[in-house]
Amino acid sequence: MSGPRPVLVVIPCWNEARNLGEVVRGLRAARGGDDIVVVDDGSTDGTAAVARELGCRVVELPLHLGYGAAVQAGVKYGLRRRHAAVVTFDGDGQHDPADIAPLLAAVADGADLALGSRFLADGSYRGGLDRRVGRALFSVLSRALTGLALTDPTSGLKALGARGQALFALARFPDRFPDADALVLARRSRLVVAERPAHMRPSLNRASMHGGTRAVTYTFNMLMSLLVAALGREADLRG
Amino acid sequence: MPIRQKVFFLTIAVMLLLVILELVRRRRLRVEYSWLWLASGMTIVLLILRYDLLLWLTDLVGAVIPTSTLFFFCILYLALLSLNYSVRLSALTRQVKELAQEVALLRADHEEDRTRA
Repeated sequence: MSGPRPVLVVIPCWNEARNLGEVVRGLRAARGGDDIVVVDDGSTDGTAAVARELGCRVVELPLHLGYGAAVQAGVKYGLRRRHAAVVTFDGDGQHDPADIAPLLAAVADGADLALGSRFLADGSYRGGLDRRVGRALFSVLSRALTGLALTDPTSGLKALGARGQALFALARFPDRFPDADALVLARRSRLVVAERPAHMRPSLNRASMHGGTRAVTYTFNMLMSLLVAALGREADLRG
Repeated sequence: MPIRQKVFFLTIAVMLLLVILELVRRRRLRVEYSWLWLASGMTIVLLILRYDLLLWLTDLVGAVIPTSTLFFFCILYLALLSLNYSVRLSALTRQVKELAQEVALLRADHEEDRTRA
């Protein structure tokens, strides 16, 4: 890898004590040279202790801040240690470590932000009808707003180059739902965005993220967030 | 406005002003927020002493009775006040998030220093 430090894999976790061991072992088996930092987003099940036992570096947030803020904390950690590339990797076991290499290759080729897309992979993951409709909607919207034909803007598997990391560390970075709106921001600050296939497994933690009644508020917040990202002033992008 | 009403409302307004001043004096209310509350209290006093101002305002906005003018502006004022609170809450949320991240990052630095030593 180019740069002074190896790759940093950021694993944002909220109550993933049961899954974390498997995720970390999978990562180490596939990518031994990478540093791993677990961001514990105010878990109540001892996730941080499990991460320490596994020998990971731990950023333990004193409060539950939400997925975006946890990812952001991990990226800030990487920035302070001057990692050439930061990978975000979900703690619930749905990402495959083998998909990291193509994302890092994209970053090495000049992308500031590389996304793992489950729809570019064969044996495509589908999800329920509501999820497919929601994703199609965001896909169309983010395409209209960014001009990027991305298939999976809500992907949590990302690789960030130096400029991508700087974007994620911004004070105004959307810290609740950093999906399509983050891409709008990335586009507006003229970052190069790439997409590579990623193989998603069913999450080990069924209750995670955007399930159930939260879908409606998620959709609304996401739409608002997209709009705000699209209407924001250029000057805001400096932080 | 009958004199009885005037005395009653003036008493309330003056008490409100005194409470605000006392809160500021005891540092329970920050000085930079107090002007808004002082201005609110003064407006009440002004409207009691100069009822004709309310009548003029009623005429200006095209309302029929002064009571509705009063209620309308009260509700508008309260709505703007809550909007102001939402803005402050958003700022506080961002500040708390950044502080929490900073605490976690410093703790991580500290732990790594200790394991290295």
